[in-house]
Amino acid sequence: MIRFEQVSKVYSGGQKALSDVNFHLKRGEMAFLTGHSGAGKSTLLKLITVIERANVGKVSINGHDIAKLRRSQVPYLRRDIGMIFQNHHLLMEKSVFDNVALPLIIEGFSHGEIRKRVAGALDMVGLYGKERHSPIMLSGGEQQRVGIARAIVNKPPLLLADEPTGNLDPKLSMDILRLFETFNDSGTTVLIATHDLGLIARMKYRTLTLKQGRVLGAQELDQTDTLSGY
Amino acid sequence: MNKQSQLTRSKLPISGQIVMFFIRHIQHAMASLGELWRNPISSFMTMAVLGVSLSLPAALQVLVKNAETITQSWNSAAEISLFVDEGRSEKSIQSLIARLKVYPEVAEIHYINRDQALEEFQRLSGFGEALSYLDVNPLPAVVMVTPSLKYSSPTGARELLNKLEQEAEVSFGRLDIEWLERLQAVVRLLERTVMAIAALLVLAVVLVIGNTIRLAIMNRRTEIEVMKLVGATEAFIQRPFLYTGIWFGIIGGVLAWVIINLLVWYLDSALAELLGLYGSELHMESLTLAELGQLVLLASFLGWLGSYLSVRQHLRAIEPS
Repeated sequence: MIRFEQVSKVYSGGQKALSDVNFHLKRGEMAFLTGHSGAGKSTLLKLITVIERANVGKVSINGHDIAKLRRSQVPYLRRDIGMIFQNHHLLMEKSVFDNVALPLIIEGFSHGEIRKRVAGALDMVGLYGKERHSPIMLSGGEQQRVGIARAIVNKPPLLLADEPTGNLDPKLSMDILRLFETFNDSGTTVLIATHDLGLIARMKYRTLTLKQGRVLGAQELDQTDTLSGY
Repeated sequence: MNKQSQLTRSKLPISGQIVMFFIRHIQHAMASLGELWRNPISSFMTMAVLGVSLSLPAALQVLVKNAETITQSWNSAAEISLFVDEGRSEKSIQSLIARLKVYPEVAEIHYINRDQALEEFQRLSGFGEALSYLDVNPLPAVVMVTPSLKYSSPTGARELLNKLEQEAEVSFGRLDIEWLERLQAVVRLLERTVMAIAALLVLAVVLVIGNTIRLAIMNRRTEIEVMKLVGATEAFIQRPFLYTGIWFGIIGGVLAWVIINLLVWYLDSALAELLGLYGSELHMESLTLAELGQLVLLASFLGWLGSYLSVRQHLRAIEPS
């Protein structure tokens, strides 16, 4: 699903963010991405979502070689990626419904279909019936879950989360992670970037640790992965 | 690699895509109008600026149009006087007139025979007494030719004059058009001035709309970032801004029309009074319905252009980080 081959990224200021990163996240897998701030977590996520592009190496997402992707194709790739942010990036002046419906409106679904899917997504994150609320009226945990509902509403094959539990207490954090597990059970590939090591320790998933732009202890690309395609 | 090309395809069936394409356009157009309605004061300020800017070129257009109707009546006053050779019989003059009548360039012919010419000269010149001492009438017969509308311009009339002078009975012809040529030069200069001012004001309209849209884009920066993150295409993001520009243009155009009508109504009574002194019944004409349509169409195009230029420049600069 996500494959990095000898990827390096240097920002235009000369700051080296990633060097020679290799890893492969299989379809249907769930993994954590961890490391200190400044270790390159955000850069790695930006390379996956094509906010930035690699200087060296090859990044493939869902079978698409990012280097060959034209600018006009980027939006269509992003529709296959559900993104969840620490500061959730909600539109505060719009209702919960409008926020969650945004990816569906962009894809051009009919009104009835949008209503059905938004209700389904909100139900899944435990916010059923709060469509008309404004995000400002909701608690931090609820806002985060609105962000998750928006990420999953168009059923993307890949879910990326950047510090999804950053502002939440341990109980709420665990709830959110359980939510990710249920998405993963239904076949979605999930990658969660977090520095909350306690949280990771309680769950037995693969962990990619970044340190100064390099992946520590990650399995090298094995031959079977290469043959299977992605 | 097949997947790469699939990336631009929507997940919906093709018929659904076409229907949704139109539905979304209508939704965006209505949403943009609603957005303007929600900020009535700032929207109205922009529209008022556009209305005033557009009303000036439109007013000049009205001015030129009215000036044309007036000069049109002067143009047809271009008459050619043909002086007939002395010693031609009345019969040969009648045959000349008959031949002239079939000229396609000739609209009207008025014949003044020698006696009539003398009579007229006596009446108008004030030399009546002196003329009565003459034994013979020194004045030639004159055929007044009014060119058809197509040949009433200075160049056309001159062309016709040259042609008429070829007739055997004609001694020479006269065309008093110098004043007409001067008038036309003045009108041409005015028209060109109008065009230059109109071009500048049209540019101002594009810039005003471009700037307004730029501010709108800046205000919605976070929203645009989020939309880009969840996979909105640039076409999708820019559409509401383009519709906003078009609405600005349409409403600005209608406003300009209202201003013009007020202006015409205000000026007409004064003009009627002035023209009344010259015994004319002319009235100022405002823009016709077709011209209103053209004005609004042009204005909406300018609105689209202004916002398109702005969107091109500023939307690309906003990228999620």
